[in-house]
Amino acid sequence: MRRMVRSEGYARARLINALIFAALGAAICYRTVAAARLSLTALPGVVLGLALIGLAVVRFRAYARTKRS
Amino acid sequence: MAASALGQRVVEEPSLRRSVTPWGSFAWGYSDVGADIFVGLGLVLGAAAGASNVAFLFAGIVYVCIGLAYTELAAAYPVAGGGQYFVFRGLGDIFGFIAGWAVLLDFTIDIVLFAWSCIDYLSKLIPVLSFVAHPWVHFCVVLTVIGGLAALNIIGVRESSAFNEIVSGLDVVSETSILFFGFLFAFDPELLVHTMQIAWPSTFGLMNGVSLAIISFVGLESISQAAQETQRPASVIPRSSIGLILTILIFALAYSNLALGMHPWHALPKDALGHTQPLWQYLGNQDNNGAAVAVLASYVPYFGTLAALYVPVLGAILLLISSNSGVFGSSRIAYAMSGAQLLPSLFQRVHPRFRTPAVSIAAFCGVGVVELVFASLPSLSPPVKLVYAHFFRGESGITFLGDLYAFGAAASYSFVFIALIALRLNDAQSPRKFKMPFNVPFTYRGNRVEFPLVAVLGFCGIASILAFTMITHAIGRIAGPTWIVCGIVGYMVYRRYKGLPVLRSQPHDWRKAQINILRAAGELELMDEYLTNVSRMDERAATVNAAAP
Repeated sequence: MRRMVRSEGYARARLINALIFAALGAAICYRTVAAARLSLTALPGVVLGLALIGLAVVRFRAYARTKRS
Repeated sequence: MAASALGQRVVEEPSLRRSVTPWGSFAWGYSDVGADIFVGLGLVLGAAAGASNVAFLFAGIVYVCIGLAYTELAAAYPVAGGGQYFVFRGLGDIFGFIAGWAVLLDFTIDIVLFAWSCIDYLSKLIPVLSFVAHPWVHFCVVLTVIGGLAALNIIGVRESSAFNEIVSGLDVVSETSILFFGFLFAFDPELLVHTMQIAWPSTFGLMNGVSLAIISFVGLESISQAAQETQRPASVIPRSSIGLILTILIFALAYSNLALGMHPWHALPKDALGHTQPLWQYLGNQDNNGAAVAVLASYVPYFGTLAALYVPVLGAILLLISSNSGVFGSSRIAYAMSGAQLLPSLFQRVHPRFRTPAVSIAAFCGVGVVELVFASLPSLSPPVKLVYAHFFRGESGITFLGDLYAFGAAASYSFVFIALIALRLNDAQSPRKFKMPFNVPFTYRGNRVEFPLVAVLGFCGIASILAFTMITHAIGRIAGPTWIVCGIVGYMVYRRYKGLPVLRSQPHDWRKAQINILRAAGELELMDEYLTNVSRMDERAATVNAAAP
């Protein structure tokens, strides 16, 4: 398991994961704002979308760090 | 709080082996905090209705602050003990005791609440285990689970850390799949907005929901518990913690938004009055609130058929690990507190044959059984149900446990924020590889320090959640403070009996302790940095003293 976690294939899988998270986050933000406009009702959905994008950034940085090392 | 070992052989291992990798550190935290949403979702939906996602958002923001605080402290002081140790070090003996005592309350609730919920999840496959239909069977099975975990911990059976990692990995994939299929095929933002508008709760309901939502984020102790067994903790902990914090926040927000805005794949059963009920209401009722994630997953299009079969089992395993971590964690904290002379040495006593802290394990599992009895009584005995209805607004079962869990967590986290601020001011020389963002630099007693604004925000947030808990939870407002007051009285009696200062702290050589901590962690660069900072500070103090008339 630990060997798999350290492999480049795993890092690439996480990169793909990051892209999916980013796309999902953007889609959730867009759909929520489209439905609720920029109101307080939209806030939880927008934060969810932003958190997904944030996780994508963390994953991408982890991938970049693995690539460097 | 998740443990890598079911029973830690305390005497055999004077120091813990550093074998936890970045993934292991993440998995350790995830297997504990990740289980919380399995319990919290149904409770919050039942309390906050259409504002459940707002309740999770509020608690989630506070949780991010708590997570950042724990990350900073665990990376700077990588020792097992968690919040109790940070408060002990930052605020002194008595506050260290109070924080540790509140954490102990949480650990004992952790044992019962997760064992209870584990059986609730299994009841979705084995209906005879249902709490509503067969309360006595449910009570006996939960009691057996607690007894079994206590016995395993006393015997010292080891649970593989790899098992934790595999279960956590499977759960992340599973939860991501549920959310992916749910959002892709059944989520309707218009329905979400509609639900939020028509089912917005009263202020009381919202406060109740927020106070219950915090239980979905409890377990950050595990980050610091794992610190003493993590390789290069100062570098690894911030990396794994940020991922963990975001993952848990996303799951909590995603599940609550999905529950409010999802069209169920199959028609839902009608309520007791024969009315059609929305999904969020179905998930929050007493039949389903203990196993809300499994029920939600079964109504996800396409994936639901498969999820209905395996999510209850996976959830039950994760919850069982979390329940075990309560047994393990309570005995470990009590052992550490006993070593610091905050609790009697009785709690350090080890079993002559198995060499595990048997007294601590038995004592805190015993407290857990008392809590189980209090939680189950209204369902087991109709007269008691009337008493609860009269005095406690009819709270019972899992809500009773949730009340106390929220109280213990909010109380201990409040102290951790204050300890973080105190340590920033009084221990500025300890190197911090990770710092909470948004700091204000200034000079304090001749030293340059940074005041953490996020800690103040977090403290205000968690203090308000503590206030919400006291306002909205009839049992939590009585039982929680009673636990703390009884603990303080016991502490005072013990310290007086031992001839130790009661309200003041004993002298501690924190410099020596910090050097030992960093050396043991293998953080030699940080140790050098610490020594340099300390000698600079001493030189500055000597110069000031020499200049003084």
